Amino acid sequence: MIRYILLRLALLIPTLLGVLAVTFALLYLAPGDPVAAIVGERADAATVERARRELHLDDPMVVRFGRYVGGVVQGDLGRSYITRRPIVDELAQRFPATLRLAAAAMAIAIVLGLAVGIRGAMRPGSLSDRIATIGAYLGISFPVYWVGLLMILLFAVQLRWFPPSGYGGLLFLVLPAITLGMRSVAFLARMTRAAMQEALQSDLVRTARSKGLTGRVVVLRHALGNALIPIITVIGLDFGSYLTGSILTETIFSWPGVGRYVLTAIDKRDLPAIQGSILFLSLVFVVANLVADLCYAAADPRVAYD
Amino acid sequence: MARMAGFLIAAALLGCGSGIPPGLTYYFSADPRSLDPALSTDVPTGESVTLIFDNLTQFDPEGRLVSGIATSWVPSPDGRTWTFTIRRGVRFHDGRPVDVAAIRASFMRALEMAREGGRVWPLLPIDGASAVVDSAATTLRGLTIVDDTTISFTLVEPLNIFPKLLAMPVAAIVPTPTPEDFGEHPVGSGPWKFVSWSHDDLLVLARNDDWYGGAPLADTLRIRMIPETFTQAAEYESGRLSVVEIPAGETQRWEREHGAELQRRAAFRAVYVAINTTRGPLADVRVRRAINHAVNVPAILDRVAQGRGVLAAGTIPPGLDGFAARERYAFDPERARALLAEAGHKEGLKLQLWRSQRAEFARIAQAIQADLERVGVAVEIVERDASTARAAARKGDADLFLSDWWADYPDGENFTFPLFHSANAGTGGNYAFVRDSTLDAMLERARSTPDSADKVALLRSIDAAVFERAPWIFLWFPTDLWAMRPEVSGWEFPAVFTGQRWTGVRFTQ
Repeated sequence: MIRYILLRLALLIPTLLGVLAVTFALLYLAPGDPVAAIVGERADAATVERARRELHLDDPMVVRFGRYVGGVVQGDLGRSYITRRPIVDELAQRFPATLRLAAAAMAIAIVLGLAVGIRGAMRPGSLSDRIATIGAYLGISFPVYWVGLLMILLFAVQLRWFPPSGYGGLLFLVLPAITLGMRSVAFLARMTRAAMQEALQSDLVRTARSKGLTGRVVVLRHALGNALIPIITVIGLDFGSYLTGSILTETIFSWPGVGRYVLTAIDKRDLPAIQGSILFLSLVFVVANLVADLCYAAADPRVAYD
Repeated sequence: MARMAGFLIAAALLGCGSGIPPGLTYYFSADPRSLDPALSTDVPTGESVTLIFDNLTQFDPEGRLVSGIATSWVPSPDGRTWTFTIRRGVRFHDGRPVDVAAIRASFMRALEMAREGGRVWPLLPIDGASAVVDSAATTLRGLTIVDDTTISFTLVEPLNIFPKLLAMPVAAIVPTPTPEDFGEHPVGSGPWKFVSWSHDDLLVLARNDDWYGGAPLADTLRIRMIPETFTQAAEYESGRLSVVEIPAGETQRWEREHGAELQRRAAFRAVYVAINTTRGPLADVRVRRAINHAVNVPAILDRVAQGRGVLAAGTIPPGLDGFAARERYAFDPERARALLAEAGHKEGLKLQLWRSQRAEFARIAQAIQADLERVGVAVEIVERDASTARAAARKGDADLFLSDWWADYPDGENFTFPLFHSANAGTGGNYAFVRDSTLDAMLERARSTPDSADKVALLRSIDAAVFERAPWIFLWFPTDLWAMRPEVSGWEFPAVFTGQRWTGVRFTQ
């Protein structure tokens, strides 16, 4: 197990180097000039030229790439062209907000998704199952943007239960977390229902029932235990994608996370900020997947990593 | 469902008491780049600087130049030297004095910081400023300390807008040496003191009781970062923002539901399409006039901007010296076709119209495309993100470029010299690449003449000459619409972005 984890961590290095090289090349080739945002409108040619020199924008690509990798190896992602602050600091300021939102969205998705899915599997075809099925389709199909706006309109402007947007206590977390987690709720409910139905019809469950175990024990211990692997996969992937910042949800709800940071960086052609964010977020995504893989072993003793 | 309700209730209970307390709350659409005046290239930074720092001169909400750290200023007879009288007894928030030595050091720092990437052009007219920027000089030759309360600036050439340039954020007076991490923890002398800033979230400012103009009425001013216009409106309607800008598409609903809270102001801003006068057939003025005649601007203004604007027949907006009401290029497709035929393009033309991804621009561009199609001009719309589209226009790669121009300082010069002087072709703002020696001479004279009546007359004739040459599709000067909460009083939307310092604004519970 330990050997497996170390191996996976070692594999991170070529993965991240690949990400680094590809994004560097793409950003190098992308149109648009970072200097305009740095010196502002109405800058004369001399000012533009000075800024380019200052940022080494005219150096050959190989030289720039070498310099960048050299910094990254020492944990230095460079400074933002725009704010002049270290990118490591800027990401560190924003990641906690993203983490909070992702965790809340995932918690809602797990609780609601599993509950609805299990209930549906136990009483397939019932009214509540049918409503849940329709709800799941809608949840998957509605665009996040639209749901977010609707949430604000209904729960913040009309009912005044929650603030429309902003960063603060739990009250501020509710609407964005539901908005972000809704797709996962729907997906998890569908997934759980299918996996549970299969498990409930298995020999294992029939044996457990014949031993005289009650419904709840059978469903939660025997059937759910067996249905967990696909559920963990979905949770791992979704959580990984939430952790890398949700541009739409963070923008609609004025949430100060990394998604908005990346969007601003792209808008301003802040090359080091884009590059640094992508590298950092790739790392987060890969680690989240590794954790999900390790959870397989915990959920199913037959999975062994050697 | 029961679980969900339970969760919501639990969350509601646990979350009580958090968030933003009532009081004056303003917003920006984006986090400021920095709070260091030397890096003020964007509007949020400029607005923040206006609150935390003082300049020698300032703008009031109407866009008039008023005194700041300087109480008065006079030009020399030749217009090349400006002498400022400095207010006594002003102190920075950390107690250091704002005296003539501090002012000189502050200007030096702004010029040196230009190497870091700032917006230093408003200071470059000072004699010797460019040398400081290029590290070729360690003193600013044009700045002279006359005595304890008098400072004078000698310029490279006579410039009548110089006092207005000193009201811009980059010319704000900062204490030197600046404290560590100045962009994050600024210290100024302005009406508001910096308290805290959490990025992309909230900037908190507190009243400066010792401000020379008298302490602001409110004790705290909070500024939230809210990128989405829909969310801005929702925050306002929930009573959590003091003021909000109303997007054009929402005009009618707000007039119906919040009529009493609205205020309008003709903005010092122009929406236009620059016609690149160096590209092929567009070099012919008849073609450019034909394009103007072909576009039904009044209909576009009504449909796309809900009529919120004044039709343009020139580039100087109403409210600024130099504006003149004149007859526009009438919507007349017949005349457009005739002009095109006269110029030898009977069989039509193919042009590219570049624009950014702004939703309003998408609709304007489509309408222009449809109108031009009708007179035989096939327009291909090229949509790019703002920086790419602007880069293409600067390089001269765009036939037509849909854009808008915001006043940096309220003066007719700001709507003529940067936009049409040959020195500004491309990067400076002259996206039409007008290079006309007659016009250049007029533009230069309008900047250097010390006589204001002479200047107004000159600006009028420049505006007329530009209109004649048709380097733009003249669209309109927008009318801004803002709402202010009933519990807030004393705020008005400023004519220029540096014109509202929130000192006379009150919040009554």
